Parts: sequence; C-alpha cells; structure tokens
Amino acid sequence: MNERVDADALAGRSSGRMPPPRILRRRYLLPFALALPIVLYEGLLIVYPIVQGIYGSFTRIELASSAATTWVGWDNYERMFSDPAFWKVIRVTLLFTALVIVVALTVGLLTALLFNRPFRFRPIARGMLMMPWAIPEVPVVMIFIWILSPQFGVVNILARMLPGVTQNPQWLQVPELAMGWMVLISSWKAFPFYSLVILAALQAIPQELYEAARVDGASRLQLFWHVTLPGIGSTLELLVVLAAIFSFKQFTIIFLMTGGGPSGTTETIVIRIFNTAFRFYDYSYATALGVAGFVVSLAVALVFILMQVRRTQESA
Amino acid sequence: MVAQVEESRAATSRRPVQRLINSTLLYLTVAVVSLIIVFPVYWMMISTFQPSKYILHFPPPLLPQELYFDQFAELFSEHPIARWLRNSFLIAVMTMLLCMALSVLGAFALSNLRWPGRNLFGLFLLVTQMLPEVLILIPLYILYRRLNMLNSIPSLALIDAAFILPICIWILKGVFDNVPAEVLDASVVDGCTELGALWRIVLPLSAPGLAAVAVVAFFFAWNEYLYAGIMLSSGDFMPASVGLSTLKAIAQTPVEQYMAAGLVFSVLPVVFYLAMQRYIVSGLTAGAVKG
Repeated sequence: MNERVDADALAGRSSGRMPPPRILRRRYLLPFALALPIVLYEGLLIVYPIVQGIYGSFTRIELASSAATTWVGWDNYERMFSDPAFWKVIRVTLLFTALVIVVALTVGLLTALLFNRPFRFRPIARGMLMMPWAIPEVPVVMIFIWILSPQFGVVNILARMLPGVTQNPQWLQVPELAMGWMVLISSWKAFPFYSLVILAALQAIPQELYEAARVDGASRLQLFWHVTLPGIGSTLELLVVLAAIFSFKQFTIIFLMTGGGPSGTTETIVIRIFNTAFRFYDYSYATALGVAGFVVSLAVALVFILMQVRRTQESA
Repeated sequence: MVAQVEESRAATSRRPVQRLINSTLLYLTVAVVSLIIVFPVYWMMISTFQPSKYILHFPPPLLPQELYFDQFAELFSEHPIARWLRNSFLIAVMTMLLCMALSVLGAFALSNLRWPGRNLFGLFLLVTQMLPEVLILIPLYILYRRLNMLNSIPSLALIDAAFILPICIWILKGVFDNVPAEVLDASVVDGCTELGALWRIVLPLSAPGLAAVAVVAFFFAWNEYLYAGIMLSSGDFMPASVGLSTLKAIAQTPVEQYMAAGLVFSVLPVVFYLAMQRYIVSGLTAGAVKG
C-alpha cells in the first residue's frame, strides 16, 4: 500500500521534467549495491565460463602445448551432428531421463499418498523415507557397488529366486541390467524429495472438499480422481520439469558405477562430456557437446520458469 | 443430506472388522515400503558392524550375527581418511561462510526491498542453479589452469559457493518473506537505515533460516564430487568424497572398512539434512511449493 503511494508520488514529480528525485536514487542504490556483488560473482564463475565454452566450441584448444587456440568455425558441430556416437548419447540421455522421471515420480506420489494417511509412528516412518535423499552420492555408490557385487552381493539372493537364474548376474556388465540399475539407484536417491513436496501439496488440499465429495457419495477412486489429483496437479507438473532437470544433471552415480559402460549403453551426455575432455583430452569437441547440453537444459529451465510465472499469476 | 451423513457414519462404526482389516493393511504396506526404501542403508550398517567372515559368504545372513568395532580404527590407520575429512571440512567451512555472507545480502534485496530488476535478479539466480555443473567444468578448468588456481582448497570453495549460492538465496528469501513489512517500515520511519533494519530486525527473526543456509552450503561442498576430483587432483588436497571413491571393496579394502568409510562420511549430512529438510526443499523448488 505504502509503496503504491510512493510510486505515484514519484511518478508525479518526475513527470515535471526534473532530474530524478534524490529519494529515488537513494531507494534504489541499496538493492543494486546488494545484488551487484552476487551478479558479478555468479557472472564470473558461471556465466563467463559458459560464454568461454561457446567461444571455445568454435576453436581447437591445445592445453598441453602453449600454442594459441585456432578458429575452426563449425567444424566441431559438423563432427558432432555426423557422429553416430553423439546420437547414441542423445538416445541414452533421453531414455535415462524419461525413466527416472517416471520411476521417481511414481514412487514419490505413491509414498506421499501412503504417508499422508494418519498412522502411529508416522514421524519415524517419514524420517526413514528421507534417508536416501540425505545420504551423499558417493556413499550411495559405495553401498550399491557392494549390494550388486556378483560374488557376494545381497541382491543376488532375490535374483536366485527367479526361475532359471542359477548364477549371480553380472549386474553392471549387461547393458539392460546396467541401465535398469542406474535408473533405480538414481530414483531411489531422488524420490524422497518429490515425495516430500507432494506431501506438502496434499496437506494443502482443504479437508472440506473431501467431506463434501463423500457426502455426495464419491467412491475412493473418485475422491482421488476428482479431489486429490486436481489438488496436486500443478505441483506434479512442476515436479516433472524439476525431475527432468535433476536427472539430466545426474553425474556421480553413473560415472562411478559404470563410467558410461558397458560399451556406452549408460553414457548420458554429461558423462560423455567428461569422458571426451578428461579421458580423451579432446577439449574443443567436449565444449561443443557442452553447448548442446546447455541448450537443452536452458530450454527445460525456461519451461520451469514459465510455469512458475503462470502459477504466481494464478495465485495473485 | 444430513440423513446421508448419519447413515455413512453409522456404516463405518457398524463394521469394526472392516476397519481392523483396513488398518492392518495400512501398517503392512507402510512396513513393506519402509523396508524396501531403507534396506540399502540397513545393508551398509550390517556390512559395517560385522566381521567380514559373515558378509563374505553367499548367501549372506540377513540378520547381524556378531558385533565388531575395530574396523573404524583400522580404517583410520590404513587410509588417510582423517586428512580427507579435514580437507572436506575446510572446503565446506569456506563455502559456508562465503554463502552465508552473500546470501543474506541477496535475499534481503530479493525479499524486503522493492526495485526494478528484482524479478530479473530472481530469474537469473534460478537459471544458474539449473545448469548441469559439468557444462561449466571444462571452461572453468581451463581458466583455473591458466590462473594457476588448481590444487587449492579456497579456489574450490569459490566454485562450490557459486553453485549453491542461488539456492541459499532462495531459501533465505522464503524466510525473510515472513518478516512483516509493517515492522520494517516502522523501523525505517523511526530513523533506522535499511541495512540497520536487516541487522537488527530481519536477521534475529530468521535464525532457523540462517542455520538452514549454513547446512545446505556446508554439505553441498562436503558431498561434491565432480569438481573436487578435477580441481584437487593432488593427493594432499583430496577431500573425502574423492578419497572414498578410490577405495575398492574386497580387492584392496576389507568390506567392513569400506562400508565404515561410507558411514563415517554420511553421518553428519544425514543428521543435519533431516533436521533442516523443510527449508532445503523450499529452496530447491525456489519457493514454488511450500515444503
């Protein structure tokens, strides 16, 4: 309220062709002074490297020798688009991202629905639910390397119960199994976060809606379909985009467990970028791959932001 | 309507058997789901606290057979894990201090002050938080190489802070939003400067939020693997996340030591993350969903 008055007063005065009033300069000096160091800091360590990366993707970078970088134009991109290995990486990335979104969000939704019901020990159960999320990625990798050990891994007990399995499988050597485990482990690590967010959305649904629907004789399934789902719909939409961003970024688990193998079947684009730069020392090609990844993640981030803006407009 | 409500109430109380079955099913489902979720953590414990003769056996016993505690002493004497943890701690503390200082300023500008460019500033932070870290790795690595900043703990803390700062600002913004605007206005009218109001009014009211930011920044750096592995390639500066990833179970490190290392590294983040989960979730969703 106060602000609107101020703004009108300022607009009225500044329309009189006078220099901007002192108060305006004073008012805006502080926020700009506070934001500037942050913008500079993020600009130097995030934005500047991105610009450098885009520039670098048009050059040949020689790190070992002191030779100057040479401009090569679109060479790196031509190579990328004609490289069948690149398209394989794209397919693997899409498959991995899509599977993690589906698995992590489904498990997140089901556990949220379950843990939303009142029962004794619920706080303890919820604390346990959050465990996978709180454990750092490197120990998660260590746990699963041990669980999946072909020699002594505990998961083999389950596998041996299946008909026809007489030997412990080489879990991370078979392409389909390796991909399956990457998706499962990434989802195990990620779903508690989604579950927690969905739980918060569930609890924001007014109880009166349920009561009214029950009075009208709605069945359980109808309650879920007509009250619960619309109530958490926009949250779910948002989480799909967030899950896409997070799983697209997934590096540590895949890198430490398969390194992208066997024969590239779990090599997502972030793994490929790393391998190209730090295994094959092909920095220029790696930066071109990085630009491709940047375009994709920027597009997804923009979708997220547009959804955010729409939400705030709806709630306003 | 009223008759219907009464009828349905009567119906539920008339069927105690049905209710018993329902609640049993609920508890059973909760138990099974929790078991599946927690099993990998349980297995880490089992493998840590038993002598390897039980665990190096197929099929391994699912329940603990014997407790054993020497693995921690062996782990610390056979691997430089104390130095790794010390390095992780240093990186994490520096990241935390840098983030706390900057995020207080950024969140104040984003939450309590009105200025043109405020939304743009918020969006800028949102986007920087969403880019995969690996995309910036190569240009930053080349930059750091040229500036001779590789193998330095403060240099890595600078990068870690840049990655986690946007989330910290969004967390704190959510906390600062709860400070009533009237209180701030009143203090400014009373002759307090805006920065004075931040120091005397906003910060004291936001202690839990500040703690959350400290936790998030500290453990982001503590857990971080990718940049630590590239920027601190020399063994002297190796943090625990990188150090642990070099351990090879069975072949080089006995399983109970291997799992004990994972456990030692996870205890702190688990305790603090669980305590601060609300704030962390709200920051990661940029306040879109109230956690």
